[in-house]
Amino acid sequence: MIRFYYYHVVYVGLMNIMMLVPALLISHRFSGGVSAIPLAIAAGTLIAYLTSSCFQRFPGLGLPEIFDRFLPRWLACFLNGIGIVIWATGGIIVLYSYSNTIGLFFNPETSPYINLTIMAIACIWAASRCSRSVQFTNEMLLILSTPMIFWILLKAMLSPWLDWDAIWIVANQVTKPPSAISFYAATFVFSGAMNATLFNRLTKPGYKLRYRWIIPLIGTMFLLVSFFVPIGFHGTQAVGNYLYIWSVTTDCLIMKYGFIQRVLYLFLLLYTLLSLLFVMNTWHTAMEFFKACFRRYPPATDQPRVPAVNWYVCIALAAITFAYAYFTNDLRNRILSEIWLVSRFFIEVILTALLLLFVYMDRRSKQRRRAPPKSSGNPASKATGS
Amino acid sequence: MLKEVRDQLGNPDDLITETMDNGYTKMEFCFFPGMCDINQVKDGILVPFSYRFDPDEFRRMLHADLGFIRADKPEEWSGLLLKGFVLLQYEGETFAFGAIRKMQTKPDPTQVEASLQGPQSAYTEDLDLNLNLIRTLYNSKSLGVEWHEKNDIASQSRIMLLYDRDKVDPTTLKEVRSRLDEVDKNLILAAGQLVKLMSHKRHRMFPVILVTERPDRTAMHLNKGKIVIMLDGSRFVLLMPVRFFDFLSAMDDYYEPFWMSRFLIVLRYIAMLLTLTLPALYISVVSYNPEVFRVQLAFTIDGSRAAVPYPSFIEVLIMLFMIEALIEASIRLPRFVGSTAATVGGLILGQAAQQAALVSSIMIIVTSVVAISNFVIPNSTFSYFIRVLKYLFVAVSIFSGLIGVVVTLFMLIVYLCNMRSFGEPYFALFINEKKKKNKRNPAHQKAG
Repeated sequence: MIRFYYYHVVYVGLMNIMMLVPALLISHRFSGGVSAIPLAIAAGTLIAYLTSSCFQRFPGLGLPEIFDRFLPRWLACFLNGIGIVIWATGGIIVLYSYSNTIGLFFNPETSPYINLTIMAIACIWAASRCSRSVQFTNEMLLILSTPMIFWILLKAMLSPWLDWDAIWIVANQVTKPPSAISFYAATFVFSGAMNATLFNRLTKPGYKLRYRWIIPLIGTMFLLVSFFVPIGFHGTQAVGNYLYIWSVTTDCLIMKYGFIQRVLYLFLLLYTLLSLLFVMNTWHTAMEFFKACFRRYPPATDQPRVPAVNWYVCIALAAITFAYAYFTNDLRNRILSEIWLVSRFFIEVILTALLLLFVYMDRRSKQRRRAPPKSSGNPASKATGS
Repeated sequence: MLKEVRDQLGNPDDLITETMDNGYTKMEFCFFPGMCDINQVKDGILVPFSYRFDPDEFRRMLHADLGFIRADKPEEWSGLLLKGFVLLQYEGETFAFGAIRKMQTKPDPTQVEASLQGPQSAYTEDLDLNLNLIRTLYNSKSLGVEWHEKNDIASQSRIMLLYDRDKVDPTTLKEVRSRLDEVDKNLILAAGQLVKLMSHKRHRMFPVILVTERPDRTAMHLNKGKIVIMLDGSRFVLLMPVRFFDFLSAMDDYYEPFWMSRFLIVLRYIAMLLTLTLPALYISVVSYNPEVFRVQLAFTIDGSRAAVPYPSFIEVLIMLFMIEALIEASIRLPRFVGSTAATVGGLILGQAAQQAALVSSIMIIVTSVVAISNFVIPNSTFSYFIRVLKYLFVAVSIFSGLIGVVVTLFMLIVYLCNMRSFGEPYFALFINEKKKKNKRNPAHQKAG
């Protein structure tokens, strides 16, 4: 079942475009954005490796259960609360910016709330399913959409209109000292590994996460492509003018022989699926974290009959999205997404530290439990200790 | 005995009740001539009793012959008679003689699930013959066969549960049994009815039970550890638990060369996607996002719509109504009239509607692609579901165009992923945990 872990890595990596990561990096392209990239790759990989190794020690347990095991109840609930906020906000930002993108490029005449409504309904529906169904959906949608997305990326990289000189000029800025915010934003590409917080519940005892070298490979590729390809198309200066930079970039591509001439539309349709997938996962995680705060809702990963509380939580999240959409605009959304990217990084670091602590505590308690039988030879404690 | 039987059954006119006397002794004797094979009755009872009567031999025959069952309980008598047994009372003992008239003696040819190179025989409406077909194809000692008998079922439909004892998942089997127990309808006539009664949610959008008429498909699924339910009097058997992909596989996929079958499978999936989304895509492209298509194509579509006086969704609904009516008519009509209907319908759908500027010519192509693609789906139940589901897409596209279609597709995938067929995931790829389990235990691989 380790493949499900990598699905999270892949789609979160692809979603950096909707989290406005490239726009942020590009705005710092002459002030340390480039040198932040290798640093982010190193840091992101490190965090991903550490967290995944830690989660391997707790097979079948999600983060809330691990909290419950090692921390007092109030602290566990507090940490769950942070989890809810960070995950739910991620979903809300993506939902808002994507429905806005749709409004800009697809249905400019319809009210933005209609687009938001359709997508929010789909997200409520999808996020309220059980974890196992969500995982199956991840797999299905990624298998359906990634081949085309990779094809678009490849087409962009091989396009004759891609100006390698511009890329070279920006790449030479690597000597500038890295900017902090670019660094935080760029680590987002590796955030998919963090989704194990909830989906670790579905792992079986004794699972081993092999092929972890895929994480830096995928992350590096996505980061470089999403940063340099727009620069190659728009030039070093004009590239700073756009917020939804990748939508504009794919609009530079033409399919000569297809029904659809402008790659933009294909790209947007595929990213609709991916954005919904992202929101589904974030909201689902937030929902499960919320449920974990109450003893009434024990973790159930395979539950085709949806309990009512799932609906309520997801509808509440959708309502917050509408409120957010009412009070915000593109610029404010950009600021919020920057804040989110930064705080997400720090929470990831804290989480990694906590997990390392938990692993240490787990080991200690195991050693302690293992120690007494040697002296007393009590068979009952031996059974629990092993 | 005769009086009791007559009382129990309300003295029907088609029941023969006789007290026979061959000069030496007497025998009470009753049966429904319509339900019994009269030749068997003659050879089995009448000849030994009359022309070649030997009291010792006759008694020995009654006690030793497999065809005679002791039936001492008066409350069983009417049930046995109704199943086609002959009841006789000789020297104070009552026996039932099985002389049930069998309509079928050989397997039917396949009618619904045709195959080019596979076996051509299908199930019949006789359960014993069907069981023979499965036993022949799945000649394994691990085949488990269970009666499922319920007393309150008026038609006394015999229901049988088959599975491979080594491969079946015990929790699934338990679930199937309990679902079968919950069925409380007292008259089950067809396999499809049982499917409906066993699927918990009645408003489900996809079937979770595969209905098939092919013994080879049944044997293959038994080998995969699936459970089979057979119903007497039905040409179809039920397979469960199944997955989405089982509905899109024809048996020929297993018999044809690798690349050919892969090609056909891909073709089927494309056809399914087309029949599901094409009308919706037409509406959204014409009414919402003409700029998505390349300019030339957008112009062609719009040009062909120039004379059509109403919005695209009305056009689509008209044409879809026509094609659905045509399909329905050609299925239900007698075969001779059916071809006429198809010709007339084809003419109307093809030329006339377009020339009368009721619909655009592109719409006619869309309609025919939808109809033909729908026929590509090998399972008829599944193709019904797809046929209906297409209207959901149409409805969404009327209100929100292309994005709505994609979002609906997403929701459909979520829906499918959330479905379970008897506890097993319905729409998940690479579920090979079972196979691994079997590999670990080599005894499982041997069977079948």
